[in-house]
Amino acid sequence: MTAAAEPVVRIRGLRTQFGGTVIHDGIDLDVRRGEVMAIVGGSGTGKSVLLRSIIGLNRPTAGTIEVLGQDISRASEARMQRLKKRWGVLFQSGALFSSLTVAQNVQLPLKEFTDLSPPVIDDLTAVKIAMVGLPHDSCGKYPSQLSGGMQKRAGLARALALDPEILLLDEPTSGLDPLGAAAFDALIGDLQRSLNLTVIMVTHDVDSLYAIADRIAVLVDRHVIVGTLEELLANPHPWIHEYFHGPRARAATGN
Amino acid sequence: MPAGLEITAGDNIQNYIATGDWTIGTAESIRTRIGHVRSDGRRGGVIDLSRLTGIDTAGALMLKQLRDHLARQGQHVDVTGLQDRHATLVERVIQSGEVEPLPREQRRPVMDWLARLGMASHEAGIEALDLLYFLGLATVSIVRCLLNPARIRFISVLSHIEKVGLNAMPIIGLLSFLIGIVLAYQGADQLRRFGAEIFTVNLLGVSILREMGVLLAAIVVAGRSGSAFAAQIGTMQVNQEIDAMRTLGLDPVEMLVLPRLLAMVIALPLLGIYADVMGLLGGALMIVATLDVSTAQFLERLQGGVTVSTFWVGLIKAPVFGFVIALIGCREGLKVRGSAESVGRQTTRAVVISIFLVIVVDAFFSILFSTLGL
Repeated sequence: MTAAAEPVVRIRGLRTQFGGTVIHDGIDLDVRRGEVMAIVGGSGTGKSVLLRSIIGLNRPTAGTIEVLGQDISRASEARMQRLKKRWGVLFQSGALFSSLTVAQNVQLPLKEFTDLSPPVIDDLTAVKIAMVGLPHDSCGKYPSQLSGGMQKRAGLARALALDPEILLLDEPTSGLDPLGAAAFDALIGDLQRSLNLTVIMVTHDVDSLYAIADRIAVLVDRHVIVGTLEELLANPHPWIHEYFHGPRARAATGN
Repeated sequence: MPAGLEITAGDNIQNYIATGDWTIGTAESIRTRIGHVRSDGRRGGVIDLSRLTGIDTAGALMLKQLRDHLARQGQHVDVTGLQDRHATLVERVIQSGEVEPLPREQRRPVMDWLARLGMASHEAGIEALDLLYFLGLATVSIVRCLLNPARIRFISVLSHIEKVGLNAMPIIGLLSFLIGIVLAYQGADQLRRFGAEIFTVNLLGVSILREMGVLLAAIVVAGRSGSAFAAQIGTMQVNQEIDAMRTLGLDPVEMLVLPRLLAMVIALPLLGIYADVMGLLGGALMIVATLDVSTAQFLERLQGGVTVSTFWVGLIKAPVFGFVIALIGCREGLKVRGSAESVGRQTTRAVVISIFLVIVVDAFFSILFSTLGL
């Protein structure tokens, strides 16, 4: 298959600028099919902006972003619409529609974009909700009745509703207690393997990097440094060194 | 590739061969096909997946349903030919257990309607008590500040007067001017039939000064500033700023509510006078331009038809309206709990309740004045 060799996301010369502030200056980044790519960086380095640029919510100042071979700033409305069914996005706090129940949230994309009949949609919804580890009785609940961790799981179920190829996560473990965060990491790793997903996740959490990331993109000085955990551990850049050898990182590795 | 399900019968065994892509796009046709599958009563069966080109969660669910469908007909089947790259997904879905039906909301239209009515009535009662409590709280705070005027935050009061009063002048001026024009035009149209066009001036003077000017100003201010009060205080509530204030030993009523109340009580009468003037101007323009009335005649007529008490009867209501609007705005803002959604809800309530109460209070004033013979 030639598709496997092609990167799923291909960013070339990305420049993002808000007013006079340059956030990204010439970022090149390839995400390969089936890998878990983590994006890390200090506050204000544009991690979430990079994620938003990939899904087309943020128009880059210069450069190209290709997702599944499609240049997203030039793609037509119809192509973009097709592309959107091939990725799933989990926003930081779940971004569940507050007026819909958990089940209705998951069903919404299924109802809008497939021709499945109501019984199949119901069954599929129940499977997705079970897959993300939510108890069955949460189906009928509204987002405000769920804890933060459950909201994220429900958001994940909605992101996975259409069986996307790419899963994008914005700080999936922020706001969760350490146990909840570890369980969520495990869930993402597990789903990534079983659904053969390509995962791109923005994170602050060093534990997540150790748990599931295949490669890590570090945003420093408006550029990006990509490598595996081992490569980055050896990187002499002061911020990267501090990040991977600081007290929290040592806690994550256990030494 | 289109999905298919081929059934071949061997000795003592039935083969169900899945072909093509079993994915979300083909799940519906597969389900229809499964519905028609009849096991022929032989003992064994095999679901063969070796010719499957692709499968996703929906396809795996269909596989599970095929298995369950056959099981219900008494045929227990094995699954063979599962490719490695599909194995974890299929196992995961099959292991997800019995698919329970999703809970459906039960609808009882009449009972639900009654329940909503009951809850709304109950809430209205609570709301009224709540408002009374808050009125008491504000009054205590006002008295305390009047005894010790240094506690009044004059800078804050002035800043709110600017926002509530000064910044509202363009919109209130324009609206009053237009209402003046409309009143004069409609009044003249009716009075012409009796040859009493000149009384349009009386109609205009009395209605603008007694009712319309102040009421219009109050309604615009309720929409503009009552909502702003609720939103500002509500946002502070969401950010836990109010809690921070309380823990620092500061009284939110004194810090936030009192300056707004004072500003509103001062600004609304001023806006009322301004609205009166603009309304009369609009009406005068219309009357002088379209009726056979000169400016001098207009002024003379106005002097004859309107007394100073007409003006005061209108204006005396303004501080009360202002007090009500500020009280409701602040109260709804403080009632915000938790989320941004709640800020929106309370802001809407603040506008609705304050406009409602302004009109109710206006009606009470009318009764009062007519009893007093004013």
